[in-house]
Order: sequence, then structure tokens, then C-alpha cells
Amino acid sequence: MAPEPLAGSVEEEVARGVADIAEVARIADVVEACALVAAHPERVVPLVLMAASTAQPESVDTRIATLDEQAVLRRASVLLLTDRVLHDDLSLSVDRDRLHAVMTCPWSPGILAWHARAQTVRWLSTHRPTDPRTRALVAVDGRPVAQPESDLLRLLELDTHEVATQLLAGVERVLGPRPRLLLPAGTRLIHEGVDVDAVLVVLRGRVALDHASPTGDLRLHHDSTGSVVGLLSLAQQQRAFFTARATTEVEVVHLSFEQLDRALAVDASLGAAMAAVSIRALAKRLRRADQLQVEKTQLNHVLERERQQLSEALHLLEQARLDLVEQARYATLGEMATGIAHELNNPVAAMLRATTYVGEDLERVLASHPQGRLASEIFAAERDRAPRSTREERAARRHLEAALGDIGLAQRLFDAGIEDPDRARALAADPPSLDLAEAVAGIGSAVRNLEVASRRMCELVTSLRAYARPKGEPVAGVDLHAGLEDTLRLVAHRLRDVEIERRYGDLPPIRCHPGELEQLWTNLLANARDALGDGPDGGGRIALITDAPDARHVRVQIRDNGRGIDPQVLPRVFEPRFTTKQGAVRYGLGLGLAIARRIVDAHGGTIELSSRPGCTRVTITLPVAGPPDDEDIET
Amino acid sequence: MKLALLILEDERPVREALRRDLALFARHVRIEEAEDVPTALEVIDEIDAAGDRLALVMADHRLPGISGVDFLIGLAADDRTAAARKVLVTGQADQDDTIRAINEAGLDRYVAKPWQADALCDMIRDQLTEFVVAAGVDPLPHLAVLDAERALAIVRERGDL
Repeated sequence: MAPEPLAGSVEEEVARGVADIAEVARIADVVEACALVAAHPERVVPLVLMAASTAQPESVDTRIATLDEQAVLRRASVLLLTDRVLHDDLSLSVDRDRLHAVMTCPWSPGILAWHARAQTVRWLSTHRPTDPRTRALVAVDGRPVAQPESDLLRLLELDTHEVATQLLAGVERVLGPRPRLLLPAGTRLIHEGVDVDAVLVVLRGRVALDHASPTGDLRLHHDSTGSVVGLLSLAQQQRAFFTARATTEVEVVHLSFEQLDRALAVDASLGAAMAAVSIRALAKRLRRADQLQVEKTQLNHVLERERQQLSEALHLLEQARLDLVEQARYATLGEMATGIAHELNNPVAAMLRATTYVGEDLERVLASHPQGRLASEIFAAERDRAPRSTREERAARRHLEAALGDIGLAQRLFDAGIEDPDRARALAADPPSLDLAEAVAGIGSAVRNLEVASRRMCELVTSLRAYARPKGEPVAGVDLHAGLEDTLRLVAHRLRDVEIERRYGDLPPIRCHPGELEQLWTNLLANARDALGDGPDGGGRIALITDAPDARHVRVQIRDNGRGIDPQVLPRVFEPRFTTKQGAVRYGLGLGLAIARRIVDAHGGTIELSSRPGCTRVTITLPVAGPPDDEDIET
Repeated sequence: MKLALLILEDERPVREALRRDLALFARHVRIEEAEDVPTALEVIDEIDAAGDRLALVMADHRLPGISGVDFLIGLAADDRTAAARKVLVTGQADQDDTIRAINEAGLDRYVAKPWQADALCDMIRDQLTEFVVAAGVDPLPHLAVLDAERALAIVRERGDL
């Protein structure tokens, strides 16, 4: 493929080279080339000879790419004939391995013919091994009939052993027959660290190369020494880097540096054999070195992966350790809470009793007082005074203020529990009686507050103990209904005016922490009770509804018809220390729903709360299988 | 015009205890109680309607559905109550809440439960004096519940005495 007149001379010469195996077609450019193969699809094209000159603007890459659009041409070898001194337009072709030879134009006579023929023969032997033309050109063993002209390349095509044999034969031609040495396995042929001044031609047997390292002897190569041992060290005239050791019985010929030198000097053709032997040995060892590098990289990958796994394992261990520390801390806190609860029991009991005694004793003291009846009455009224809202109290006080016209006096009388204006006026007119009334009213409210306070402390102690109770293993086969009934009995005193409705379904026995669940029901029942308020008219109703939504879960609903929870605060009710309650928080540490959620979570269940005025519903779903085994309830 | 003191506390025993501890102020200061925020706002309206001045609010930290801090923050934004001294009574405030109370509510004092009656009274007297000074109220009618020395110093400065 070249413009005239170049194409003419190219054709002429190429034809000389390949006349017996191929036909030469002369065309001007790639377009024509494509048209030609399209017109004759049956043709086989082994070689495209492409001329490139400074006069042609189109890049070699573009032209080859165009050729490659034709399947027939895509397989052809490409030979570039150029008169340019520099090409920067064929990187793609090189990268795709589409450029097989580059020749200069003008060329020495004959070289083009020779080259074209060689390329064509090579192409045929590769692509059309069964072609009759190929058989004529290529030997049965696949080797081209035409041998390379250079000794070195010719020798390189032989196998290592053959080259060594040829080398030895050459050496023996010069030096006369050499004795064969028979060495047993284990013999060291070359010693690491010792100067090498001889080579050994291995005729039979296997040799390994070992290298001493701080971590022990490393076997770097085995059977990859080539047939001539020591040549590399000799070439560099230095100490051997390896120890060469026979691993089987070996038969070798020993050639000293001087003998080798003499043989090479006399027969120059031995140089090619030496070079071939060296290149083969080097190539083999280089391949082995590359392979070792690949193995090293792979090992490093494996090591890196293992290092990461170790690092993850370490991280998990550290996490587990922290969890254990945390658990230990909670366990300590739990023990402490239990201890405090027990320690508080006695003082609280004493306080509660003392409150009663103070009341009884005061009544006895007052019995002997001249104004005893009045005093007893005021004391008892104040002690038993029912809670009223501050709004109601303020209204009552204003009423008294209006009746008496003296705000200060009204306040004193009101604080003494006197709200009836006539009685207030009478007492106001009798200062000693007013003093007495104020005093006993003060005692009365103090006793009442003491009693309320100590009762609350009792409840706190109880729930603190429940909260901190050491956790045992979950118990299997627990009847939820029995637990609910137990709880109802325990809190019966609080549910006196409440109608309890039970709608129990069929429940399988479950695995759980029964004590925890009892605390859960207690909390929820107390919440429901408190939501009903203190309306005297009754009508408060709490419903307990149980069922099993599927074979693996049980469900408990606690509904009340109380005032409901403000939608704004509903999302916050599970937060610790959040309360919607007026006055005393009746149960627990103000952690009611937070504790409830913790208990349910620890059982692997769910708790849901929905509320509107007149209907608040807590739904607990628990797995029949109980808490996850590895996750005890954390306190 | 009377100075008014508002106790916002949802537990009756605590309310009663506070009131009794503050009994010596009762003859000279209007002491009002509220158990929740709506009642407290009513009381504030009443105080305002009667022409009295809210001088001090003691709010419990934990109230139903709202934190005492939030309530005090609300007061700071109300013209009628912005000048009132604000005291948080608490058994459990954590640091975040305390910081918020100081930064946003202009919290003046912080009383931890349980309290000492004497210290409480001293603190209240001190805060009432602060209110009188800051609000420019004539201290003379309220001398009985103020720090007499500081109150009289104001009066002297004014040249009334």
C-alpha cells in the first residue's frame, strides 16, 4: 500500500521474496485496500506493507484503524515502510500490538523481500498451520524450516540442555575430552560467599540454589539454574550469592575459568553458545524472580487482609471489654441501690410509725387542754385535709379576705384551716385561741406531709429494690395471666374505685423474667390509674386485653378511659424523668415508662403507646421464646 | 402596691413547707402559690390586675409536662414579669439545664432541695431588695422584707430622709 511510483518498486521487490507462497496486490491507500478485500472475501491476507512518508498527512494509527474495520485485514501482519526519522502517530497501534515491523525507505536491496517473506512465513505458521504452503515452509515440529542466520538466535531456539551439550562439545573440540564427575545428592557445587572461578556443566540431575538469610536458609530456585552452574557469578567476577546444591545425583563437567577462556579464544563460535546459555539461565531465573515478586505481592495481600481481620477482632475485643466494664459498673450501681434501699427501709419505717405516734400523742395531750376540743378538731381537720388545687384554695382564701376585710388576718386564719367567716371572726376576736389554732393546724399539716412523704419514700424504696434486683436467668413456662393477676392483687389498694375489665385470650406459656414483667405491669397499671384522675364519680375503667398475634408472640394491652396524653408530649413519654403527672409521682423514680421500655427491650419485645382523651392504650408485644440469650437485662 | 412572690410547685407538701418557711414575709408580701403553669399565669394576671408587682418567682425544676426552666424563660420574655427575680428550686437539674437557665432565663438564684429555712429567707430578702433596686420601686413601704441597710441607702441617695 503506497503511492506511485514507490508502490511499483515495493511490489517488485516483495514479489521476489514471496512469489512462491503469495500474490502481491499494489494499491494506493487504505480505502482501496478495504474495497479490495470486500470485493474478494475469499482471499487470505497475511501481510500489509504500508508506506508512510512526510507527504502523507494521515496518521499511521488512523490508517491501521481503518484497515482493522475489515476482519480479513485485522488478522494481517502490518509492516511499516517509512522515510520519516520520527513517528509520533502510531502509539495506539503499538499498544494494540498491530505493528509487526518498521523499515526505513529507501531500503538496502533484498532486505524488503527477505523481511516480507519471513513475516509471511511466520504468519502462515501461526494462523494457517494446516495450509499446504505452510507445510512446505515449516517443519513438522512447528519450527520454521528457514533457520535464523545468527548463531545466537539459532541456539536460543534450542532447549537448554541441547545448548549446553553443544557448548560442551565445542569446549571438548578445543580441550579434548573432559571427564564426567558423578556427584551424590546434597553435594554443594558452589559455596555462597566464596569466589567463583569455575563453571559446572550439568549433564544430568537437578540442582537447587539456596541463600542463607537471618530467618534461615531460603530456597530461591530449584532446577532453574540452567545447565551451566556458576556462569552468572563468573560473569560478574564476584563471590557466589547462592549455594548451589545437588538435589539428586548429578553428572557434571568441571570447567575452570582458564579452561573456558582458552576454549573461547580458540573457537569464537563458542561465544554464541556461552551467550545463549547465559541468556537462557538469566531468563529462567528472571522469570522465577518475577514469579517470586508476584507471590510476594499475593502474600502481602493475604497478610494485609489478615491484619485487617485481626484489627477488627481487636476492636471487637476492646468493645466487649468496655461492655463488660459497663456491665460491672451497672452491677455495682445495682448492688449499691439495693444496699441503699435496704438501709432506707428502717428509717422510713420508723418515720412512718413516728408520724402516727405524734398524731396519737398530740391528741392525748390536747385532751387535757382547756381548749382541747377546738384544738383536736382543727388538728384532725388539717391532718386529713383533702388535696385541693391551688386555684380552689386561692378562691377560698379570697372569699375569706372579702368577708374579713383584713388580708393579713384572713391569710393566718386560712392557713389554720378556718374558712367559715363566722368562725373566723370569732377566733379573730380571741387571740389566744387563734394562736392555738394556728399551732395545731401547723402540726396537723406537718403530720400529713410527713405521712405522705414517708409513704412515698416507702414506694421509692420498693421500686428501687425492684429496679436494682439482681437478674437471674429467664424463666421458661411462665403464665402471663397469673403474673397479671398477682400484680393486680399487689396494687389493689390503689385500684379500689377502678373497674377492672379482663379480656384474656389464649396465651402460650412464655420464657421471661417474671419479676421484671411484674414491675412492668405495676408501672403501667399505676400510670393508667393516675390517668383516671381522682374524680369522685368513679367511672374509671382499666381494661387488660391479651392475645397471641402469631405463634411466636404474645400481646398485652392496657387501656384506660382517662384524660389521655397531650399529643405534644406523647413523643417524650419514654424519656427518663419526663412526667405528665400532677403532684406526687406515685410510683418509681419518675422513670416509669423509661423503665417499662427498658424491660420490654431487654425481653426483645416492643411497646407502643397511643392516646386520645378517653382512651389511652399501651400495647406490649413479647416473644414467646423470651429474651435473646446473650442479652441479659442490663440494670 | 404590694410586692408579690409566686411559688410554682406541683407537690403540696413542698409548697406548704416553702410557705411556712417564708411565713415571716407573709405579712408584707403577697405570697401566691400555683401547682402548674396555667395557674401560675392566672396568678400573674391577678397580681397585675390588682396593681401589685411580681417581685420574685420560685419555680420547681420539674413540673408536669414542662420544665421550670422553660417557664422562667417564658417569664423573661413578658414585660410584666421580665424584672421579677427568678429562682429555680430543684432536686435534680443537670448541667445543661442550669446553663440554659442562666443564659436564657436570666436565672438569679438556684435553690437545691432540701433547703435550709434561714438561708432561704436570707436569699429571698436579698432578691427582693435586688428587685426593688433594679425596678426603681420605693423601698419604704417594703422595708420589713428588705435588706434594711441597702434599702435605706437608696432612700438616702434620693434625699427623702
